[in-house]
Amino acid sequence: MSAEMLRWRIGGNWAQRADGWWLTVPLGRIRAAARLMREGGARFVALVPREIRAGKLHLSWHWDFRGTLLSVETELAPGVSAPSIVDIYAGADWAEREARDYFAVSFAERAATPPLMLRDGDTPGILLDAEGERP
Amino acid sequence: MSYRIPIGPYHIALDEPYKIEVDCEGEQVVGASLKVGFNFRGIEWLAQRKNVTQCIALLERVCGICSNVHAMTFCMALERIGSIEVPPRAQYIRVIVAELERLHSHLLWAGVAAELMGFQTLFMEVFRRRERVMDLLESVSGNRVNYAMNRLGGVNRDIGQPGEIREGVREIRNSLSSTLIPIFTTDRIVAARCRGVGILSRADALAYGVVGPVARASALDLDLRRDNPYLVYGALKFRVPTQNEGDVMARIVVRALEIVESCHIIEQALEQMPEGPLHAGEIYAVGPGEAVARIEGPRGEVFYFVASDGSDTPARVKVRTPSFVNIPSVVAMVKDNALADVPLIQAALDPCYSCTDR
Repeated sequence: MSAEMLRWRIGGNWAQRADGWWLTVPLGRIRAAARLMREGGARFVALVPREIRAGKLHLSWHWDFRGTLLSVETELAPGVSAPSIVDIYAGADWAEREARDYFAVSFAERAATPPLMLRDGDTPGILLDAEGERP
Repeated sequence: MSYRIPIGPYHIALDEPYKIEVDCEGEQVVGASLKVGFNFRGIEWLAQRKNVTQCIALLERVCGICSNVHAMTFCMALERIGSIEVPPRAQYIRVIVAELERLHSHLLWAGVAAELMGFQTLFMEVFRRRERVMDLLESVSGNRVNYAMNRLGGVNRDIGQPGEIREGVREIRNSLSSTLIPIFTTDRIVAARCRGVGILSRADALAYGVVGPVARASALDLDLRRDNPYLVYGALKFRVPTQNEGDVMARIVVRALEIVESCHIIEQALEQMPEGPLHAGEIYAVGPGEAVARIEGPRGEVFYFVASDGSDTPARVKVRTPSFVNIPSVVAMVKDNALADVPLIQAALDPCYSCTDR
């Protein structure tokens, strides 16, 4: 399979950028995209959350397919859970737990999302603007 | 009888803190769980509060071994956002320093592995060669670690004495080919401790998303220097060693062969390096935008996502280090192995907890 074929299987309007290929999808399509990535042999690279405005997050999941970066992005409204892909990629576990630590992201489809960098009992979301200068 | 052994966060084998809880049936490991974050420094939080120049110094401190690649990858992400053209000579210098850093990292790891095997002579010999690499890095940058070579749009220093680097690299390659690699690949002590130990299957390697020598030792043929060439790697000839066994021995062989390849890369880069400027000018910020930059560090793929709002302070810096994706796979590696092999299996990952905790 080629990266082009994998993009075609996932569908949607992929945009080419200097760093790779990007696809914007609704939240509900993330797991299906992850499954197709796994079937196609793509390697999960990273989950990048960031705050775009008061509590609203932008999430991007990144995969590598033979050197090509394939990124799937979506937005997450406050109070909404993100889809977990840890049952599809075991390696996503720490990425999701870190997203919880930094941006208080909660994940559906997993029983618990324990802290990774923070300690048990610490309030998550240290990179949220609302947290101010709390280190 | 089942029992659980907590190991860490202070380790006899590692200088950095992390905890592994090993579940055993007799002497056999049946499961494990990991805990990290003991050295959490909040570097991504700090990066959003410092200007770009300060961030380069900050991010160089993500890791004490592969410090250069972090500063370099951060600069590459910003250069991509700002469409900044890095002069060819600076690109060659970045490659040479990155490959010297790989030599340093792999030799350090080989020395630690030799010591864990109880092979003190080999440890001493490896560290003698590592010292030579550090001398070369010091001659280029003035520092043994944290070389401060990178700046936005290029490098801070020239390589003034290429002959010295060429001579040092030749010496290291010859000693590796004639002594160290034969010992690592044929010695009975090494084979007895490493062959068939800590196996990570290709399927598990893909599921965990492992990178670098750990992935290549489990038959995942990936290397960004070849698969998505950056800087001037596309103009250099090198092989990407892989092994199929996925055990500790395979990780040793891959790293040993990579040392030789790095020597070849440095020699070619010194040969090809053109005259010219070292940087694209005085640049301290880029316009609004976002970009991912990835490079092949000593331990594998280094991933940076950087977003800029046009000010001199990054809006977001995401750092995903190779150890962050490699360390969780230790759970699969230790299963069904002897408890006594756990330290060596962990070390064979070449884990960096400083990188992981950031």
